[in-house]
Amino acid sequence: MTYYSILPDAESRLHDHSKLFGKVSRYILRRYPVWPMIDHLANKVVPVHKHSVWYNIGGIALFFFSVQIITGVLLMIYYRPGLPWDSIQRIVMEVPFGNMIRSIHHWSANLMVFTLFVHMFSTFFMKAYRRPREFTWLVGAVLMGMTLIFGFSGYLLPWDDLSFFATRVGMSEIEKAPLIGMWLADIVRGGSDVTIDTIGRFYVLHVMVLPLLTLAAIGVHLFFIQVQGVSEPDSFASLPESRKRYRKYFTEFIFAEIPVWLFLGVLLVALSAAFPRELMPEADPFSSAPEGIKPEWYFLAQYQLLKFFPGKLEMVGLILLLLLPLGILVVPFIDRAIPANSRGRLVNRIGIIALLGLIVYTLWGWLS
Amino acid sequence: MNYPVWDIPFLGNGLIVAIIAIIHILISHLAIGGGAFLFVAELWSNRQSNGGKIREWLHDYATYFLVYTTVFGAVTGVGIWFAIQLANAEATSLLIHQFVFAWATEWVMFLAELTILYLYYYGWRKNSRSIQTFLAGAYFVISWFSLFIINGILTFMLTPGSWSLAKPDIFAGFFNPGFLPSLLIRSLFMFLLGGLFSLIIASRVSEDDFREKIINFSVKWVIPAAIFIPFLLLWYWSTLPENTVTLVKEGIRGIGGGRLEAITRYFWLAITSGVLIVIGTAIVAIRPKVVSIAGMIGLFMIAQFGVMGAEFFREMARKPYVIYDVLYSNSLWKQNSLNTDYMKTPYLEKAAWEPGIEPLSREHGEWLFRLQCASCHTRNGYRSIVSRTENWSGEFGYRWFLTMHESGVMPPFQGDDYDRAALSAYLVSLNGGFITADEILKKVEPEQSPADTLSLGEMSSGEKQP
Repeated sequence: MTYYSILPDAESRLHDHSKLFGKVSRYILRRYPVWPMIDHLANKVVPVHKHSVWYNIGGIALFFFSVQIITGVLLMIYYRPGLPWDSIQRIVMEVPFGNMIRSIHHWSANLMVFTLFVHMFSTFFMKAYRRPREFTWLVGAVLMGMTLIFGFSGYLLPWDDLSFFATRVGMSEIEKAPLIGMWLADIVRGGSDVTIDTIGRFYVLHVMVLPLLTLAAIGVHLFFIQVQGVSEPDSFASLPESRKRYRKYFTEFIFAEIPVWLFLGVLLVALSAAFPRELMPEADPFSSAPEGIKPEWYFLAQYQLLKFFPGKLEMVGLILLLLLPLGILVVPFIDRAIPANSRGRLVNRIGIIALLGLIVYTLWGWLS
Repeated sequence: MNYPVWDIPFLGNGLIVAIIAIIHILISHLAIGGGAFLFVAELWSNRQSNGGKIREWLHDYATYFLVYTTVFGAVTGVGIWFAIQLANAEATSLLIHQFVFAWATEWVMFLAELTILYLYYYGWRKNSRSIQTFLAGAYFVISWFSLFIINGILTFMLTPGSWSLAKPDIFAGFFNPGFLPSLLIRSLFMFLLGGLFSLIIASRVSEDDFREKIINFSVKWVIPAAIFIPFLLLWYWSTLPENTVTLVKEGIRGIGGGRLEAITRYFWLAITSGVLIVIGTAIVAIRPKVVSIAGMIGLFMIAQFGVMGAEFFREMARKPYVIYDVLYSNSLWKQNSLNTDYMKTPYLEKAAWEPGIEPLSREHGEWLFRLQCASCHTRNGYRSIVSRTENWSGEFGYRWFLTMHESGVMPPFQGDDYDRAALSAYLVSLNGGFITADEILKKVEPEQSPADTLSLGEMSSGEKQP
């Protein structure tokens, strides 16, 4: 087999032959002709402007996802889907640092969901979903949905009182979905009620199916961003070229962000130290549900909304809930249909109403 | 029991002290480290070709430094005094009586350092550079000396050494086994803070080369801490009481194996923070041109979390004492705890501020909770007593009080059988249970019904201190 030749552009920019980095670079490039890709990434820039801080949020979400992978793998070493509560109890009480790792996993999951909400709304308000980035938005919205399913499936795994009854309530809502509700709930549960069989399904979903799908979706999302570059807000795009400032994505942007990630790492340890995740008594399907049981905070808005549609009206509420994610998915295409002169203001108003609605309904659900 | 109880719902008085202290300690250490930074930066600027520009930047540093350390430092400093005397008057009284001259000296030092800092800042355009350098140096030396004094008192609380109530050798108590390693760790930490604070101010500089120069100067302030603190920690560790070391090691295995696993969690928070500050600073040193203000505030906040971990660790390391081996957290003197007669005396007879409640009533149990438990536990918030006793029966609590001190993290129970029954009934009632103290006594000792042995009002009729 012959080696690939190194492009003249690469040759002129690589380290000297005599240096280790130069030798390694040439060794790789002769076998894998990826210089155009490296060159593209090395020249990738990020605009610097007053809204730059919002560009860090996606990276922060990715940081939390990485923590989830690492702590999740560590928890998998001791977790047994056949003995869910016992194995979690063992993690909490016997495994060195088990309680800490579990608490970090819990806090990182919550902060990841929160960060993704912030990322989605900041992307929305900066209109970064517009042409040609419609599919980046779509994949991002799918990632948001998958993260919520991550949370729902992971919540049951400890098999304690709280997780069991919260999941049972959640599944009963799925049952009410039109046409396929009952069928879907039975498939997800592995029967007509939440049982140990449900654990098996949720476990496979949580540690195998969703991570693979999420990794693939993140890959596509990042690929789109690398190919298209980071979007520029209108206020920046309208500046004359001479006044635009950019920062190199690799090394400069990433290096500036690392201290923030380190801080978030310590924040996770601090939250886990101060508020470790509790393990409730083992689930007893024959006992009555604990008083005041509610879903996790990121489902509270939907939960509260459904309360406005009692009895036969519940179907209307469910349809409304199904329309919400659909609405998010079609945002870039609706935006394009709005006349240009009123587009910005209208979109901002819709965003503000959606954001306020989410906050108010979540707080309402929490306090009620 | 000699003082009124500061009963703070949900947070508890201990957490109030901790919250104020955690904020104050970061500020107070920065107040010293920043002084050293100003002094060295004054000298450094004299040797640089762009010294004037550096001094202009230093003025920026001094502005933020002065506002942050004096405003927030003074508020939280006074807050600590206010809080500790209410939270544990007995311990505060002991510390004041033992170290009254040390504390008086510290207050003089504090006044002097504030005066010098204002002279330094407001004399910026008027004083000569040599006077400014002198003032910065004087500020640092005096503020470090106040740390020297406070460090002696703080380490005394955990490692009093050969000091004892019977032989209160103040010198031995002040220069206790933990004094020197703690002083050195704190000194290096304050240099580190001076550097981290500088990174925040430097990140606002728009000119790349100048920002790089300041950052290169600032990151060096982290190096001594990165190199020496690990060794100093080993030294400090060797001075800790054996019980503390055991608690930390046991806590690694979660709540089942550990008796007080929170101490281990906070210990690791402090260690993690230290390691990540070093990594973060190394990254800044590699790429000084790309620092962001958010990133630098993030690094500084890591130090704040490090203080949080270290302070909670220091507080829990003393458990169950507030002054190790001398005074329990709930103001019980250890020497009294060894006197069986004293310990078996009906507890409220010794409580100066008890209003005269009906024995074996719910109020009886509540007063015992306030006086014996509330220094560490809240009813339903921080260190919740409700969650810790949710599976209790009245009889279990009654019996458990006799042996709770054997865990090594709880003080011994003070009081007679009626006190134990009253407190147990009260704790069960907090969890929604219904059992009276009288019923508990009948269950555990049916032959000794309190109705036969105790008349109402008898228990609160003992002599009270005014």
